[in-house]
Amino acid sequence: MEIIISNSSGVPIYEQIKEQIKVKIVSNELKAGELLPSIRNLAKDLRCSVITTKNAYEELVNEGYIKTIPSKGFYVAEVNIEIAYEEQLNKIEKMLDSAVSIAKMNNIPRKTINEILDILYEEEN
Amino acid sequence: MENILEIKNLSKKYKDFELKDINLKLPKGMILGFIGENGAGKTTTIKAILDIIKNYKGEIKIFGLDNRKDEKKIKEDIGVVLDDMFFPEILTPNDINSIMKDTYNNWDSGLYFKYLTDFSLPKNKQIKTLSKGMKKKLEIAAALSHHPKLLILDEPTSGLDPIARNEVIDIFQDFIQNEECGVLLSSHITTDLEHIADYITFINNGKILLSKTCDELLENYGIVKCTESEFKKLDKTDFIKYKKKKYEYEVLIENKTAFNKKYGINTIDKITLEDLMLLMIKGVK
Amino acid sequence: MLGLIKKDLLIIRSNLKILIILFLVYGVMALQGEMDVSFVLPFMSVVIMMSTFSYDTYNKWDAYVCSLPNGRKNSVSAKYLATIILLTITTIIITALAVIISYTHTKAVNFDDILMTVFGPVFATILLQSFMYPAIYKFGVEKARIGIFIVIFGVTIIASIIAKFINFKSFFQKLDALNNYWLIIVPIIMITVLYASYKISEKIYKNKEY
Repeated sequence: MEIIISNSSGVPIYEQIKEQIKVKIVSNELKAGELLPSIRNLAKDLRCSVITTKNAYEELVNEGYIKTIPSKGFYVAEVNIEIAYEEQLNKIEKMLDSAVSIAKMNNIPRKTINEILDILYEEEN
Repeated sequence: MENILEIKNLSKKYKDFELKDINLKLPKGMILGFIGENGAGKTTTIKAILDIIKNYKGEIKIFGLDNRKDEKKIKEDIGVVLDDMFFPEILTPNDINSIMKDTYNNWDSGLYFKYLTDFSLPKNKQIKTLSKGMKKKLEIAAALSHHPKLLILDEPTSGLDPIARNEVIDIFQDFIQNEECGVLLSSHITTDLEHIADYITFINNGKILLSKTCDELLENYGIVKCTESEFKKLDKTDFIKYKKKKYEYEVLIENKTAFNKKYGINTIDKITLEDLMLLMIKGVK
Repeated sequence: MLGLIKKDLLIIRSNLKILIILFLVYGVMALQGEMDVSFVLPFMSVVIMMSTFSYDTYNKWDAYVCSLPNGRKNSVSAKYLATIILLTITTIIITALAVIISYTHTKAVNFDDILMTVFGPVFATILLQSFMYPAIYKFGVEKARIGIFIVIFGVTIIASIIAKFINFKSFFQKLDALNNYWLIIVPIIMITVLYASYKISEKIYKNKEY
């Protein structure tokens, strides 16, 4: 499992871990029932504190992505991929919403926004 | 959660220095970073924990036991690296093994020699021929080889080059793979702690200024850089300390999100423990 | 405790060479009929042992020892025991040497003579240790060393002044009455002084901060 942590990005480390594990679950790279590394092991491998990985796992449990079996560890939960997918879409929608309102406020045409999107997509590749 | 180390209202008076009402908690399975300037009281606190200094007020509990009443039992399970101390230099790492195996009930010679090999330390050379970093590593090896449950380390990374520091920090993280163990690590090299410490306790001039989880500190605290006119608009209760610089004001704040909401200032820098220390000590309010 | 005794004996290991060389030189001298000065060996062994205090101070060992299980409690007794071990070994050696010399010179072993040559220096050495150790624990090595020189110097002067007024001869003649008992008296004094010294050192160490 690959997790890449950036210390310079403004995103808290536990959130980076959480989001990356989430993506791996949604993309089915981590399959339901799979055992995740222990909190302590992950902390050591990522060179972060135990509390950080603990926070990340706790939030993932709360959001239903993983489940904990006492004294055994954390496992990937049966995630309804469609719901998870929906959730990601919602997130995108929210962000685009604020982008669109900025565009409208400043009279920036939709064409320009589309262009920006195209450029961003190309950069990703 | 049970605390492996707990200090309540520790006070100690010297002629020119005073430790005032130190409170500190280290839960099991965690690393506590004890930070502060040289002379802030880190070493004095550690010496009180270990009963190296006497006549202090307050209560110190280790593994739930009183540090003085159950001294022998407690110390069997503590590994110690003290600042500014080394083994008698005329001895060799081999000698240290033969001394320690008759000192700790649980001394593990095999483990000790494994650490020596891992750290590429010689067995039969006098300690005085070792470099400063090697001496520190030898002390760390000795501190770990009786399977302690609590490590008390006063500046364990000082004098080490970045590569050695990295190795040593790996070892501390290995150490807390066992949830029953804990590490109290004092340091003025805060970058080491930013990554691995679960809790940060900040001591200055004999008093604890702040004690929080490291994540909380690094995520919520921030530095706002602003102009004088912007600074004058700030509510006094919304920042902890500030420092006037030549071209700008540096303001230490406790909650980035709340600050951003209230003032709409977006230029809030992420904080490092070093910034925090600097602003807390040198900043004004 | 064993660990701490080992530590002091390991520290003086390199100094033991000096002791051995001294022993060989004195042994040869004595066997050739020169003066027997092997009695300095017990004295040297305590002086060497005192050097371990310097190592302790220099390396801030005392702070560390307090962090070891029972460290503070055992540190002083370990120091006294290590000294006694070394002293016992050197005493055995000079006794053996005295026996050999006595035998080669007279073809017989005169135990009275031997006990005299051995007991005197050992007694003096133990007195030295008994005064020095508590002083070192209290004031540190450097100050204690200077202090003890001043004390010895002072005592010598006072003794020589007193000697002018008191007739020592009659004093020692009175002591002669005890002649048959000194084999018991001296060890008792030795042990009492040493034990008192140990207790004082322990008390000083118990509350000392490092």
